Amino acid sequence: MNTRYFLAIFTACTGLTAQAVEMPLYDTGPSQDAAFVRFVNASSGAMEVKAAGSQSGTTLQPGQPASSFYPVRGNANVKGFFKNASLQSDIALKVKPGEFATVVAMPGSAAIQQTVLRESPDDFNALKVSLALYNLDAQCAAAGLNVLGRNATLFENVANGTLHRRVMNPVSLSVQLLCKGQVRPVTLALGNLQAGQRYSIFVIPEGLGSKLLIASDAVSR
Amino acid sequence: MPALTLAGLALLVIGESHLSQANYLINPLYEDLTAQGAKVHEIGACGASAGDWLKTITVPCGAERRAGAAVIKGRDATTTPIKQLIAASKPDLVVVIIGDTMASYDSESFPRAWAWQGVTSLTQEIAATKTACVWVGPPWGNAGGKYKKNDQRVTQMSNFLATNVGPCTYVDSLKFSKPGQWSTLDGQHFTLAGYKAWSEAITRTIGELPEVKKLKKS
Repeated sequence: MNTRYFLAIFTACTGLTAQAVEMPLYDTGPSQDAAFVRFVNASSGAMEVKAAGSQSGTTLQPGQPASSFYPVRGNANVKGFFKNASLQSDIALKVKPGEFATVVAMPGSAAIQQTVLRESPDDFNALKVSLALYNLDAQCAAAGLNVLGRNATLFENVANGTLHRRVMNPVSLSVQLLCKGQVRPVTLALGNLQAGQRYSIFVIPEGLGSKLLIASDAVSR
Repeated sequence: MPALTLAGLALLVIGESHLSQANYLINPLYEDLTAQGAKVHEIGACGASAGDWLKTITVPCGAERRAGAAVIKGRDATTTPIKQLIAASKPDLVVVIIGDTMASYDSESFPRAWAWQGVTSLTQEIAATKTACVWVGPPWGNAGGKYKKNDQRVTQMSNFLATNVGPCTYVDSLKFSKPGQWSTLDGQHFTLAGYKAWSEAITRTIGELPEVKKLKKS
């Protein structure tokens, strides 16, 4: 994935390069916070995502469905499109300063539906793991996660189209999905979650059921 | 006679405007660190934030001191990617002195996401070289001045750094003085007496850190 080139195209579209202003003798930081956007492919096939007016972009495979977070200019127009073998869907959104937006291409045969979830985190901590649950499955009301092998709940009652985030100690664990309090036969090994890192788990529809995917919330550099 | 706390250690010190003028921190700190036995390489870049040390950018002023007198630079001053600096200096310990360039004192809100991105980018880059590091946070200034430094935001900046600079060890400069105790020229930059006091406190604290004592033994 050519993230640097992709970022350059996206930032050009959003006017980031036009931010240069006369710098005071000693700068004390930006006038507005950074903003970020990433793209997630919740469909069963490969999905291209491209910036408007460019041939450059990236392809999101079902097994690795989330891009990195790309820096964009706060409150600027972010434009692009999703494209699969037969369908295309325009992307257009604004991301507020301090916000991390996730644009999800949902499964469907007639059209590529999009869902945008946004968060403005204040839980940054180099000693802790930050873990979010994104519920993108309309058939899984009040999504939750239990820790496999322990009598512990990680998340509960996450409504469709929303997310919850929590901090926790670095640990290696596996989770099981719950929908409306009912355990589903869907598990996921999260691996060794590292201190200082941020992660998202996505609940995504798959056939008549659901699947879980985890992605690192890395920022593209 | 007490043992030198930094004997035999090579220190790479990077920072912002505080390290960029002859009568600022760069000289007292060099002298205090070397007096404790360290071999010191200091580089200051005015206005440079953490993320600016992953690339080369031009800054309005800067300074460098490695041996002999400090070299004060004007508009030809730049940052240098931290990995490049570490490869060249081969330090036992990197000391980062950054805070005032990331607090956005003149803005209503603290740019938390931007600060997180910059700080973690730099600490991860240092960690990738397996070099120990210490991050010295911002000190109290005098409220107001042309940079609009204020006690509330500097506290917020320091608290943010304390929880986000890991695996670097955080040195909290707010513990070294009381708000307004050290006189400033402009609310943010100290008179030489203030810089000498800050330098002595930084040197003493670094020398007492268990992580640094361990470096001396290894």
